[in-house]
Amino acid sequence: MRSPLSDSAALPNLRSVASDLDHPRQRLEQEVVELFDEFRLPLLRYLSSFGLPLADGEEVLQEVFLSLFQHLQRGKSRENLRGWLFRVAHNLALKRRYRTGRDLEQGTATLAIDPAPNPEDQMLTNQVRQRALQVAKALPEQDRRCLFLRAEGLRYREIAGILDMSLGAVSLSLTRSLARIARSTER
Amino acid sequence: MNHLSDRHLLLHLEGELPPHEKKLAQEHLEACWKCRARARELETAIADFIGAHQTTEAPPAAGPRALLKARLSQLPPPSSSFFRTRLGLPLAAAACCLVLLGLVLVRTAIRPDDTTPLVSTPNARLTPGAALLESRQDVCAQSSTNNKIVPVALQKKVFEEYGIARAQPHAYEVDYLVTPALGGADDIHNLWPHSYSATVWNAQVKDALEDRMREMVCGGSLDLTEAQREIATNWIAAYKKYFHTDQPLATGQPAQQ
Repeated sequence: MRSPLSDSAALPNLRSVASDLDHPRQRLEQEVVELFDEFRLPLLRYLSSFGLPLADGEEVLQEVFLSLFQHLQRGKSRENLRGWLFRVAHNLALKRRYRTGRDLEQGTATLAIDPAPNPEDQMLTNQVRQRALQVAKALPEQDRRCLFLRAEGLRYREIAGILDMSLGAVSLSLTRSLARIARSTER
Repeated sequence: MNHLSDRHLLLHLEGELPPHEKKLAQEHLEACWKCRARARELETAIADFIGAHQTTEAPPAAGPRALLKARLSQLPPPSSSFFRTRLGLPLAAAACCLVLLGLVLVRTAIRPDDTTPLVSTPNARLTPGAALLESRQDVCAQSSTNNKIVPVALQKKVFEEYGIARAQPHAYEVDYLVTPALGGADDIHNLWPHSYSATVWNAQVKDALEDRMREMVCGGSLDLTEAQREIATNWIAAYKKYFHTDQPLATGQPAQQ
């Protein structure tokens, strides 16, 4: 016998009766799934800066894209959806970490370095990149998040909006972080 | 010579300097080997970090994508955007006042001592209806058409959602919008508090409709999906359609042919 639950996630074969009729809704669902495909990896990389394990990161992403669906369904602004996604992911990740009380864990398990053609170059490149990553992960939280957001292509103004910082503070944070990385990777 | 700070160099590399400062920085870099070398070091640091950061191995996407699709399909529809517009808000407020006034008048006139709110249709946002992916054969193979008993904790949650947390449980049936006898799901999005006696369109009337629709589905004269859709969209309209009447019939009375 099925257990009567209030959590609809426990019933994966459910469908909404109302949605049978609603073609605009189906189109919107499709659009959100396409955005999920496009931004899943960048967002997962950013979430790794919170020390969230991959499974938690995936769960946060589900919440992010469900929120995106509701945001778009209500006809709210479509301007800079990338910035919106990172901001919501940031807030949900903070909430999740607060809830679970999890200490920082480094997301190294999912990282792999592309092989370079020459074995010596490959080894050297891997060593330098690993050092850069280690330095990045040892940065203070705010600096690490700034760096990860910039690495995903966000502009200073967007980063400032997501992290609730001034533009000057973003610039100082990135300068500090890159100076440390530069020192650690001197060849 | 005053050299450019790391911060200025980075802002220049990032294209974040205002135009007049950008020009000055460019002129300085053209003249200063030391600053050019430092700019290259910063760019190398960026390249090293980005090289490591963006070679993250992508975990398989199929599972998370499928889960997202399933969850999206279960989200209830939003309440009408009309009520969020500037014009809609005052009208909605006025309409609410009229409805409240009407309710007060009706309750005073008909049931002066009863404090039970009248609920004969579900809130589409809270209860859009949810059905299992079952075929007609599966549905009609069920031996019992009695609804499963909704656990007390879930009943309480439904009352809370509908803002009647202190309601008398005997005054309502926490009812399935799409009855399990027609493939309805055990899900809060498919449950609502249906008044037994506060209105003419009460739970017993809906039970009669459910029995009739199931007979028609299993008899092959009504498509299962259509039955689910009709009962979820407006069960009263479905009742009127299938019983050929504008008012509920007394229990046990046959439909007009």
